[in-house]
Amino acid sequence: MKNGLALFLGVFAALALSWAGLLLAAQQQLGRLGQFKDPTDDTLYPQPMSGLANQGRLVYQDLGCATCHTQQVRREGFGSDLARKWGQRGSYARDYIRDESVHLGSSRVGPDLRNAGNTELHAGVDAEYFYKLLYAPASVAPGSMMPAHAFLFDVHPVAGRQPSAQALKLPSKFSPGPGLEVVPTTRAQALVAYLQSLKDTYDYPIERSRNAPAEKPKEGGH
Amino acid sequence: MNSTDHNGRTEQMEIDASAKWPVLVFFGSAVLWLILGGALELAAAIQLHTPTFLATCEWFTHGRLAPAAQNALVYGWGFNAAFAVGLWLMARLSATTLRHGGWLFVAAKFWNVGVTLGVAGILAGYSTSFELLEMPRFVTFLLLAAYALVGVWAVTTFSIRNTENVFASQWYLFGAAFWFPWLYAVAQLMLFRSPVRGVLQPVVNAWYVHGLYGLWFVPVALAAAYYLLPKILGKSISNYYLAPLAFWWFAISTAFAGGSRLIGAPVPVWIPALGTVANFMLVIPVVLIGLNLFGTLSGRYASLNGSVTLRFVLVSMLAFVLGAVFNFALSFRGIAEVAQFTLLSGLRDWLVFYACFSTAMFGAAYFILPRLTGHEWRSPALVKIHLGTTVLGVVLLTAGLTWGGWQQGNLLNDPALSFTDVSKAMTFWFTYRTGGLAVLLLGHAAFLVNFAFIACPFNLSGAAPAQINPPPALEVLKA
Repeated sequence: MKNGLALFLGVFAALALSWAGLLLAAQQQLGRLGQFKDPTDDTLYPQPMSGLANQGRLVYQDLGCATCHTQQVRREGFGSDLARKWGQRGSYARDYIRDESVHLGSSRVGPDLRNAGNTELHAGVDAEYFYKLLYAPASVAPGSMMPAHAFLFDVHPVAGRQPSAQALKLPSKFSPGPGLEVVPTTRAQALVAYLQSLKDTYDYPIERSRNAPAEKPKEGGH
Repeated sequence: MNSTDHNGRTEQMEIDASAKWPVLVFFGSAVLWLILGGALELAAAIQLHTPTFLATCEWFTHGRLAPAAQNALVYGWGFNAAFAVGLWLMARLSATTLRHGGWLFVAAKFWNVGVTLGVAGILAGYSTSFELLEMPRFVTFLLLAAYALVGVWAVTTFSIRNTENVFASQWYLFGAAFWFPWLYAVAQLMLFRSPVRGVLQPVVNAWYVHGLYGLWFVPVALAAAYYLLPKILGKSISNYYLAPLAFWWFAISTAFAGGSRLIGAPVPVWIPALGTVANFMLVIPVVLIGLNLFGTLSGRYASLNGSVTLRFVLVSMLAFVLGAVFNFALSFRGIAEVAQFTLLSGLRDWLVFYACFSTAMFGAAYFILPRLTGHEWRSPALVKIHLGTTVLGVVLLTAGLTWGGWQQGNLLNDPALSFTDVSKAMTFWFTYRTGGLAVLLLGHAAFLVNFAFIACPFNLSGAAPAQINPPPALEVLKA
């Protein structure tokens, strides 16, 4: 190879091909994926995220939660995500169109969070649970290796003021001390609203049929 | 014959003189980032088995520290080292001096300011949380502008070449010089400027990450290997006629292989399938490149004893093959089912970036820097420590994390075990990983000391010009 122009054109074509073949083609296929209107209850799914939850998504981004947590449920027969109660079904592409930024993640140092707020799977998981988990993980998940995110909370003395309605009810072992209360900051509130919004409970009829395993042909039926 | 030889030497000295300061500045920044990034990486690794470590400080929470370390290593160490080695190689192979090198200092300044702001931005909470694109948006322009200067210099140096033929290293460098800015600009456009929706974002991200490793770092490493092997052994690349085929095949397949990171993800199934096919296709260029490089080395393994550079390049070549094997293996559904999301998926990229690319840069540094400065390496013991810790660290981490990652995947796939039990079982492997990274960091510190001595302009003790044995003449002098 001696010709610089030929080299340039080849180098250009190699990447341009993959851009067109991978990214453009995927955009063509999925770029206009919209909400699905359920014929029985006349509601659009996935339902949009609340404003507070969307702010929480930004906190999730800035704290880099995706470093250790995935947000994708693998379907039946590929891993045991469903048996681990990380979802009621595998995730569909349509689930993610409500998210302004999508962080599927690539490491499961921590559990999958796609259905972190799904109370059908995790009974009793409310805002208080997430606050405690963030402030002192061991207080609700003994043996957890998650780092505490105490910086998302204000700790101040109760004396001389009305106790905050949002103060965490911590067991004394994890409480910062007598006369002190732990109150979530607005960032913590947003993050917890986001975590609670993570639930793919609706099963889309189109996706279900499309992703179902193909029916086995009858024996001998060629 | 002797006079042409002499002219060749003078020409080389002129080229080296023109490249000296740009290379030293880029390499100096690279080594500083290597230490800083390594320290951050070590701290992040400690947090995985000791979650209380630095947990009270928001800036150093694991979710910020780990990406900050990765970005410091990739954009700080990786890019600066690639700039240094790439520019020098391009000038040498094009038989032309690096003109107006002052502009390269401007580029180095901008690049490093950009990376500093980017890493600080991640720690301060401006991360975007997209792998290797975490740096806040405001540094994008700074990085692209700085890169443009470096890229233009590489391409200009290539286009005013005084040589008839274009060597394999030049194809790889030329390709990489164009691929990175396109990958980066497209990823920025499609993720931040006018973001695509839903799961298309992870597809763009996977395409970028795979491209960055496969079409920027690997080509620079290969360029160094293609140059250093024949140069040190005094022997032309064997089966060289296979090299163009390998280059094109490698480039096209790698560009398509990114989808293999999304096996089982909620994306159309043709995307990971295409990536799998591409990884299968990559077997052939990897074999061809192996024939080129190992073929050149075969029968000359005795030369390894005399050359640190050769030994680093050998590690790099082995890691190149192993990295391809990992990508290939992780493309199988059955293997991905266990291995994805574990230590193994991180190991795959680490093999390419550290074990293949970084070791090639170390090898190149041991070859280039004495020639540029006219000094010898101050301490042969430190060189030995660097080589020893690198080999030890690479072997320990590769073997250990393969085993540990496989175990992690199997534990995660066993729903009878609670997640806490999985974490507990993995504590050993996370501790092990910290140990491996610490070993590597020790070697980097040794390298830093040696580098400081050789690069210092007031180096009085080593002022005598180094006796550099001229490389043996090539056996075959075909065009």
